[in-house]
Amino acid sequence: MTWLEGAHGEHPFDAALGLRPDLRDLYRAFYGKLWDDHLAPAALLELCRLRVAQLHDCEAELAVRHAGAGVSEARVAALADWAASDRFDEAERAALAVAEKMPWRHHEITDAEYAELHARLGERGVVALTVAIALFDANCRLRLALDTEAVPAEVAAPASGAGPIH
Amino acid sequence: MSTKPRVGSAVAGEAPSFGTALAHQPGLAGAFGALYGTFWSKGALDHRTKEVTRMRNARVTDCGY
Repeated sequence: MTWLEGAHGEHPFDAALGLRPDLRDLYRAFYGKLWDDHLAPAALLELCRLRVAQLHDCEAELAVRHAGAGVSEARVAALADWAASDRFDEAERAALAVAEKMPWRHHEITDAEYAELHARLGERGVVALTVAIALFDANCRLRLALDTEAVPAEVAAPASGAGPIH
Repeated sequence: MSTKPRVGSAVAGEAPSFGTALAHQPGLAGAFGALYGTFWSKGALDHRTKEVTRMRNARVTDCGY
């Protein structure tokens, strides 16, 4: 239960940010653009979002599933040891290699890992995915710092400019 | 940390930087600019507090930029 008064309800993270409505709306527009504009494959975003949440042990982020991303629970279960799993294709492995290091080991990301990501996604894709992973990381930190509730949900998208952020 | 930019500039004639790399995704760049600009130009916190926490965050993450 968050210690922020007024940050409760069906979408507690969105409600917490909503204590500053102008910033919440602009953050929805920024974060939601990943899905609103289809800036990267939905499955790739979902795998990276959930892996970053696992690394943070962020229950509130892990409670959300993007229903349209097509990521099975079997693949989610394999995420913790994705490097040893055969359930992830080459593009997913390139993305997960960066996602794995962004939260706690960002200085260990290598040029070779980025070259692999570039080969799979191109420059625009690399920028979109890097922003996405950074925002997944930031959201976990925000949720944990604000202690927002975990609300299990299968959603059309984790966020949208039309809101809310799940 | 890399010694060369991993993403090139999307702005002709300008060197790779945070802004010119983000410009590969103009929609994201615009949305980020609106959010970050509002954060700095309005709000409940004074500029001293924002700047102190920004600098401390950069130190903790060892971000020389």
